[in-house]
Amino acid sequence: MKQSMERSGAKALVESLEKAGVEVLFGYPGGQALDIFNQLTGAKFPFVLGRHEQGCVHMADGYARSTGKPGVCLVTSGPGATNTVTGLATANIDGIPLIVITGQVPMSLIGTDAFQEADTTGVTRAVSKHNFLVHSADEIPETVAQAFYIATHGKPGPVVIDIPKNCQQAMTAAQYPERVSLRAYHPESAATSSQMTRLAKLINEAQRPVIYAGGGVIASGAASDVAVLAHKADIPVATTLMGLGAFDEHDPLSLRMAGMHGTPAANWAMNDADLIVALGVRFSDRVTGKISQYAPKAKIVHVDCDPASIGKNVSVSLGIVADVKDVLTTVGSRVKPAKHEAWRAKIDGWKKSHPVAWRQMHPGVIMPQAVMEAVDKATHGRAVIVTDVGQHQMWAAQHFRHSIPRHFLTSGGMGTMGFGIPAAIGAAIARPDHATVAICGDGGAQMTFEEVVVAVEHKLPVTFVVVNNGCLGMVRQWQELFYGKNYSGSILTVKDRPANEQLEQDLACDYLPDFVKLAQAHGADAVRVIDPAKLDDAIAKAVRSPRTTVVEVIVEPRANVYPMIPAGKPVSEMVFK
Amino acid sequence: MNEQIHRLNCYVENKPGVLARIVGLISGRGYNIQTLNVGPTEDGTVSRMRIDVLGSDRVVEQIMLQLRNQVNVIEVTSRRGKR
Repeated sequence: MKQSMERSGAKALVESLEKAGVEVLFGYPGGQALDIFNQLTGAKFPFVLGRHEQGCVHMADGYARSTGKPGVCLVTSGPGATNTVTGLATANIDGIPLIVITGQVPMSLIGTDAFQEADTTGVTRAVSKHNFLVHSADEIPETVAQAFYIATHGKPGPVVIDIPKNCQQAMTAAQYPERVSLRAYHPESAATSSQMTRLAKLINEAQRPVIYAGGGVIASGAASDVAVLAHKADIPVATTLMGLGAFDEHDPLSLRMAGMHGTPAANWAMNDADLIVALGVRFSDRVTGKISQYAPKAKIVHVDCDPASIGKNVSVSLGIVADVKDVLTTVGSRVKPAKHEAWRAKIDGWKKSHPVAWRQMHPGVIMPQAVMEAVDKATHGRAVIVTDVGQHQMWAAQHFRHSIPRHFLTSGGMGTMGFGIPAAIGAAIARPDHATVAICGDGGAQMTFEEVVVAVEHKLPVTFVVVNNGCLGMVRQWQELFYGKNYSGSILTVKDRPANEQLEQDLACDYLPDFVKLAQAHGADAVRVIDPAKLDDAIAKAVRSPRTTVVEVIVEPRANVYPMIPAGKPVSEMVFK
Repeated sequence: MNEQIHRLNCYVENKPGVLARIVGLISGRGYNIQTLNVGPTEDGTVSRMRIDVLGSDRVVEQIMLQLRNQVNVIEVTSRRGKR
């Protein structure tokens, strides 16, 4: 009997992943993962081969962000494992549940500097929520169960399982546990009754309240509860970058995004508020600016599932460690219906005097903000938008009307260039019912462009928009504003480089690479748009197309992201142009 | 800078990598461990760590919260000592 239940550790791993409900596995093979790969061909879930391990982790991340379920990724030892570090850090800071399985050299070779040996648990410790080094095949099912539990409970995050080759090969009868019990990790926490009473009292007494909603609202599935509270007590809602989609920006109560590139209305409202109800946020320096002058008139209530995030960056009047949804459903009945007419009128004045807007700089040159509006129009605001990092990310945050949770996927905390293309592939695989549009810059697109072939292989109708301004726009913007227009290392075109970066040869084209040819080489359809009059049609056609399409849009190279509160400065130093 | 020695008392699961995780969490934030003492408890599956670290109350409070978030940490207490 016992003998019949025995199978290799590798087989036990694949069984465990099936039991954990894995729908798709992303990854890249190598020597120390071959026993696992050998078992994948019989697995119940499909395998998606990326082209670089960083891309594989971002794909799993895009899957996780768009579904809320853990994304799973399998790579080999050594360079395979070290290539996951950026993806792990990206997921870790944004609280995204991932399981990353890495092959490892056999136990007998650990510490011998064996071929493709790296201390994976050592390397990934600071960029993951937790990691495991498996010591025997018998540990594999239990470890997988624990990893899924840890990734999805408390503040979600990435968990690494490092499995030496001998453990993959050894036989085991160990079974996937029905329940997970961890001795020391019990992250569930609920608000106390007195905290709820105080929260309701603060809301009922406030004259100028603001709800400040972050990624935790989306992770908790609490967007509809935020809307109920906001409408009942007439509270305007600002979101973080990670919170875009947590509150419908068409709603008159929406202040849209707060922070460095947030709307004046959101930032001024927080600055003038007497109560900030912060839900699932971590008070990033990109939102608070100068911390000593942040929200000077406000009492701050901070609700978050992570006890370490409360009071970390700002002092709070009331900190509640609990699930945001639980808190909102409980407090709702204790909050009295209210109208804050003077406060709303003041905010509406700000919205009218400083709307989200942009100006054409040079006739005949496409403004990057127009690209966002074209995508929004072509997708009727229903697409899953995935961004890379930089100016285009902020324009996407500003110029879409975000209205649906898990429809704006972006590397918020880590600001990882190269995230957009693979994350969009993961999202498109996860949500075939929705159009997926990746918005990338020409810098970030070149970091992970190799993954476009994966979209083509899987016939994913993703639209990759490359907003090409021929430079690393956000770097260039900071150099223009804060470094005396010394454009060191940020110009990608042949022209306009500083003296130490001048190129000797005359290149045939000012813009390299040719993204249209590059996309075609990967098997995707591709089009380049230079004429503003052709922008809407090109985007609409790409979005409608059932094929993977790359749209390269040549945009105004000197456009900047405004408004902007310079790093470490208070709201009063917001600049508009 | 209101920095004082704080003594952290941690009870952790006796597993490989736990010491590295805890030390890394403190050193990775730029704080220097003054004294570190690790030993078994009567329960062989639990280790006790005494860590003396120099920092402000606010920083040490943050370190404690981060330590409690660790999967292998059972309990953390702290007490202020003399500089």
